[in-house]
Amino acid sequence: MKYLPFDYAIRNLWRAPLRMAIAITGCALVVVILMAATSFVQGMRRTLSGGAGSDNVILLGAGSEESLERSQISSAVSAHAKTIPGLRERLGELFVSPEVHMAMILSRPGAREELRGVVRGVVPQALLVHPRVQLTAGRFPQAGQDELMVGALVDAKLGVAAADLAIGKALMMDDREWTIVGQFNAPTAVMDAEIWTSLTDLQVATQRDTLSCVIITLDGAELADIEAWAATRLDLELSALSESEYYAALQRFYAPVRAMIWATAALMSLAGIFGGFNTLYAAFAARTRELGTLQCLGFSRRAIFVSLTQESVMTATIGALSGIGIAYVLLDGQAVRFSMGVFELRLDEVVVSVGLCAGLLLGVLGAVPPALRCLRLPISSALRSS
Amino acid sequence: MIAPRYVPFVLRHVVRYRLRSLLTIGGIAMAMFLFVGVRALQQGVREATVSTGSENTLVVYRENRYCPFSSKLPQDYARRIAQIPGVEQVVPVQIMVGNCRASLDVITFRGIPREQLEQAALRGVTLTAGSVADWQRRTDSALIGHRVAKRRGLSVGDRLEIAGVTIAVAGIFKSPKPQDQEAAFVHLPFLQRSSGLGLGTVTQFNVSVQDPTQLDAVAAQIDEAFAAAQEPTSTWNEKAFAARAVADIVELAGFASWLGWGALAAVFALVINAIILSVQDRIRDHAILQTLGYRGELIARLIIAESAILAVAGGLVGIGAAAGTLHWGKFAMSVEGLSVQANIASETVGLGLATCLVLGIVAGLFPAWQAGRREIAGCFRAV
Repeated sequence: MKYLPFDYAIRNLWRAPLRMAIAITGCALVVVILMAATSFVQGMRRTLSGGAGSDNVILLGAGSEESLERSQISSAVSAHAKTIPGLRERLGELFVSPEVHMAMILSRPGAREELRGVVRGVVPQALLVHPRVQLTAGRFPQAGQDELMVGALVDAKLGVAAADLAIGKALMMDDREWTIVGQFNAPTAVMDAEIWTSLTDLQVATQRDTLSCVIITLDGAELADIEAWAATRLDLELSALSESEYYAALQRFYAPVRAMIWATAALMSLAGIFGGFNTLYAAFAARTRELGTLQCLGFSRRAIFVSLTQESVMTATIGALSGIGIAYVLLDGQAVRFSMGVFELRLDEVVVSVGLCAGLLLGVLGAVPPALRCLRLPISSALRSS
Repeated sequence: MIAPRYVPFVLRHVVRYRLRSLLTIGGIAMAMFLFVGVRALQQGVREATVSTGSENTLVVYRENRYCPFSSKLPQDYARRIAQIPGVEQVVPVQIMVGNCRASLDVITFRGIPREQLEQAALRGVTLTAGSVADWQRRTDSALIGHRVAKRRGLSVGDRLEIAGVTIAVAGIFKSPKPQDQEAAFVHLPFLQRSSGLGLGTVTQFNVSVQDPTQLDAVAAQIDEAFAAAQEPTSTWNEKAFAARAVADIVELAGFASWLGWGALAAVFALVINAIILSVQDRIRDHAILQTLGYRGELIARLIIAESAILAVAGGLVGIGAAAGTLHWGKFAMSVEGLSVQANIASETVGLGLATCLVLGIVAGLFPAWQAGRREIAGCFRAV
């Protein structure tokens, strides 16, 4: 089969510059919106996949499996958990981390503005069970000193400047001044937007004698062993959940929000596709006589169809690449504060691929129906058309 | 803009290019659907958080807390609050949600003392099924908002389990208050026991004040009374309390408004594109019209009218679809036990249609100007 030369399609692109500019703009808009939606969902998924593949098990209050902030268990659980055989151990230190998770109102000294943060009361063993947490500056908070260490995204979570959370600065919590002594990061984990402090200091400040949970890391033991242990300790009213299961449940909780975001992106894409159809129906219909002439010259309908699709795909590709560029400037690295957490928008390979594929798909989908409609006409009718 | 006798002529053009018109209307409808959805969320935020000045309810919360899981106040504070001058009624309330985080389809349990249900929760509320007597009879019974009932397919007699608490539906109600529609009113002692919080501790107190102008003064007195207590309080008027709690949703609504304006930009691009294309394809028609005596200015006005009709038709479809979806879907976003419902206000409908009309007219200006200034000979040569 004889195909039309590729540069025929390229030359055709510039025949109607305004039409092409509008098509490129529409395509770029759809690509930006799709990339924003994908990076939002990806960012949320990444942050909530904190426990995927870990050997951690969370011991929390029965009935509070949906939220650690609601859970309350006896402080004695930590000591009891250390008696479970098969837990990971390093240099005689068991991987057992008693923790308190609290949503707290904080403020900067001398300022009245309320800042909403998630504070985690921990002991040094927390660094064993959460290996993704890496101290980047300063040190771990010491008990009895009202000290804090802050995650890399805490400034975005609180809505303050990074300089306000520098080492040596202070935050007010429960009418007490707490000094920042450390900074950490925990890439792609919820901890990145958290403030950590000493477990006992937090318990004293909030007049709380219970824990939210005890996190343990398994070695020889299996989840079923821990579940059996929790089931036998009726007095402690515990539930044992693998960390991955807990975060998977949290992801399910956010499913309606994700669905809403996808629905929005789908609506905008549909609007873009309709616009694309409209443009190409008109563009191809105006060239019906030209397409008939090409058939007279011996080019098959399939060859013409391929050439028309090439034109459309090239326009869409320019739009998609422009959209990717715009998205890179507007979205990449943005921290999104959403409901007790923060996640980062990243234009990774998945997001860029979605943008590019969406653009190409728009090009193909937008071209097929209008091209088929034009090529359906008999040559004689095509040549007679104005 | 054009004489009524030209309207059928314009409509005929819209119908003649059926596919193009349908695609344009479809695209505009999608974008308007989104625009109206965003405005509905913003309207919900406004209804939940902007004070009308006539409210007389205060919410007493634990100082420095914002999540119901961490606000714990001794129930006997109620007695002391009731003694403060200007206080009409004090209702201890236990709030329980599966998760404090923001999402859709979250039910909020509100534990209320049995003897205070009618005055505290049922003012202005209409029971559509079941009865208060049924609620009084069983300790695990609940009166649930009609939105929750519809979304979850619940009716009287059904049982529902959320976060380890199982309730029996004793009644379904409709309330003008946005917060009530996603709520389930249950017996306070039942919720205190089943949530593990224990008797004698509540999340908040809802305080009615005799004189709405004294809200701030009474709030200050309450906080002062407990300033040195083991659990100090922070008292807010009801709307300000909601505004504080739904800050995340406000932020989301602010972000979404950009999306809404983006959708409008897409509408503009769609209409202008469709009109430019239709004008380019109808150069010969315009030449014939000019030959028949139509002046360039009239042709321009016909084009603008066509553009406006397409835009308004798309707007009507989009607004209708959004209204239907929000009405049947009963969407609400909840956070920390408070809800924001997406509501379409009449001004949103008006604004949507007016925006479509303006965009339609503006989008038609350039192609109309182009068509209106063409010479007859030039038009025929272009064919």
